[in-house]
Amino acid sequence: MGDEKRQRFSIPIFAVLCSLLLGAVIIAMLDVNPLDAYKSLLQGSGFLPKEKYAGGKSMLTDLTSFMNAWTPMLFAALAVSVALRAGLFNIGVSGQMLVGGYIATLLVGYSDLSAFLAKPLVLFVSFVAGGLIGGLIGLLKYQFRINEVVSSIMLNYIAQYVISFYINLKYVDVVSRQSRVISPASRLTLVSTPVGDLSMDIPLGVVLALLVAFLLQFIFQKTVFGYELKSVGTSTTASQYTGIKVGKTMVFSMILSGGLAGLAGATNYLGYYNSIPPGVLPSIGFDSVAVSLLASGNPIGVIFSSMLVTILSKGTVYLTSSTGLVPEISSMITGIVLIFSACGLYFQHLIKKMSDSLSDVKRGSE
Amino acid sequence: MDRMIIDGMTFTLPLFIMAIGGIYCERSGVVNLALEGFQGVGAFCGALTAVLALNNFEVGSLMPFYLATVAAIVGGGLFSLFHAVMCLKFKAKQSVSGVVINILAMSLTAFLTKLINKNVFDKSSDRFMLEVLPKTNVPVLSDLPVIGAFFQDLYPFQYIIIVIAVISWFVLEKTKFGMDLRACGNNPQAVDAAGMNVNFLRTVAVIVSGSLSGLAGLSFAYSISANFSSSIYVGYGYLSIAGLIFGNWKISYTFLACLVFGFARSGGYELVKILEMPSVYSDLVMTLPYVLTLILLVFFSKFNNPPVALGEVYDKGKR
Repeated sequence: MGDEKRQRFSIPIFAVLCSLLLGAVIIAMLDVNPLDAYKSLLQGSGFLPKEKYAGGKSMLTDLTSFMNAWTPMLFAALAVSVALRAGLFNIGVSGQMLVGGYIATLLVGYSDLSAFLAKPLVLFVSFVAGGLIGGLIGLLKYQFRINEVVSSIMLNYIAQYVISFYINLKYVDVVSRQSRVISPASRLTLVSTPVGDLSMDIPLGVVLALLVAFLLQFIFQKTVFGYELKSVGTSTTASQYTGIKVGKTMVFSMILSGGLAGLAGATNYLGYYNSIPPGVLPSIGFDSVAVSLLASGNPIGVIFSSMLVTILSKGTVYLTSSTGLVPEISSMITGIVLIFSACGLYFQHLIKKMSDSLSDVKRGSE
Repeated sequence: MDRMIIDGMTFTLPLFIMAIGGIYCERSGVVNLALEGFQGVGAFCGALTAVLALNNFEVGSLMPFYLATVAAIVGGGLFSLFHAVMCLKFKAKQSVSGVVINILAMSLTAFLTKLINKNVFDKSSDRFMLEVLPKTNVPVLSDLPVIGAFFQDLYPFQYIIIVIAVISWFVLEKTKFGMDLRACGNNPQAVDAAGMNVNFLRTVAVIVSGSLSGLAGLSFAYSISANFSSSIYVGYGYLSIAGLIFGNWKISYTFLACLVFGFARSGGYELVKILEMPSVYSDLVMTLPYVLTLILLVFFSKFNNPPVALGEVYDKGKR
């Protein structure tokens, strides 16, 4: 599988192939041709043309609505990556998404600001709100030595219940049982916009998400802050010794991570959707942990891994209608992909062991 | 008041037994965020067994319940092998393995429930309906004033949980096996030097956590919703983790923590009802366990001592 540098690509790809193969076996056992199933997932996400389209729809509209669903996942996985770089495990992305989305809904979504003002403000507010929660987790870790996994879990549920309380108390829509819908001006997705004779959902956030991914890659590779992050992530004591302010770096990385999670919340609740269901943590927040890991935290890799997982979820509707499989099958395959990705380190270890014993054999024959 | 005690205990005991599983696992040195998934899979196995068995026994027989309990314990235990293999053999990061296993458990049980309902029972449903369990009073004790409520309206699983909890406490704190297991979490090198297999002991601990969580999951399914569906995944597992951290990884303190959580929940519901507040206020009550745990950690994290080797993969070469 090549040297360690190439393994960064080959191992995740190998893990994905393994899980798709296992998924294919399961699909075949349900008397459906696995190739048809995978093809329909791609068709449903707008990567392959379907046989026929309803009026105003085409492969392009499928692709833009795929991107609409993809944006929050990409932001969330990038959020996990930033924390991971500093050696922190941000399992609180769900809660931070909820807080970011909720505060932005409250302050901007229910206001009557014009679109030019409202949309940037949504991004700003959700970034700050999510960042504050993230920063709090970082502070608790550094100041009080509270494990970030524990505090994020607590904050997740506190956020879930408190926000559910306020939505039910003040902002509930009696018909949908969700929060009232936000003003179209503040929504980050232009819904059913006529383009030519097509009716398209245009997600504005996706551009920003991709920009952030490349920006993070630049920060990680080329800046002092990126180096400090990596250093703290590798060894806090060694970093302290070289004069890096460990606490500041940790808190800052968590602020950034939480902020990105807030943006994920904004693009989810004020983009893909236009309201918040009370009492539910977004599953994207948990999936994103594994999505980021699948790419070993690399921002560019995350673009692809988040795309894969979103194809599995977004293509489900077409999959079920064209093959008759139960919709739960695709979340099941997602689960398998994530399991395999978590074992990446073992594959690496295995390859090293095999190549070690190979070189032993070589040396023996000389 | 009586209602609060009865409902509180119905919730506390499953939470407690799951936390005991977590304590076994974590004190052997393996981080366990997968309790949420274990309890769901246990509840699934149990509920499926109960549904299959229901037609073979007369109405009102407790046999389906007993079979379901065994299935939940076995199912949870088998599923937890995933976590053991991922953490101990594949050396995945243990918190990550937990999160991923929760995702898999959720999608796996939802998928199988749909599939089995479709192919075996020929209906389109995403849940297994369970029968309502009979509740019993403990004779004499239940007639006592005030504390009598602790012995009233008990579900059959509550007796089972109490017995298993006492046994688990004894095994962990008073036997050689328990000591070896605790040593794995504090000084695995010493366990290895004494000629015992660290990874074997840890695997046993993980399986215990899976089995006990399975029992807890089935209890939740019977008592709270009387069915199995994906509504079982609302964070009971994470709550019991909060409980065991609150209880400083000790079974006795953890019981108190679970008691506080259970009573905060039932008391909050009662309070909302008595004060005739809208039911949305119960959401605020639900934050109490998490807020309490967080505050406790802020002020007492100095005294909080998790197992020393928690989360570390045992490496023979390390000193």
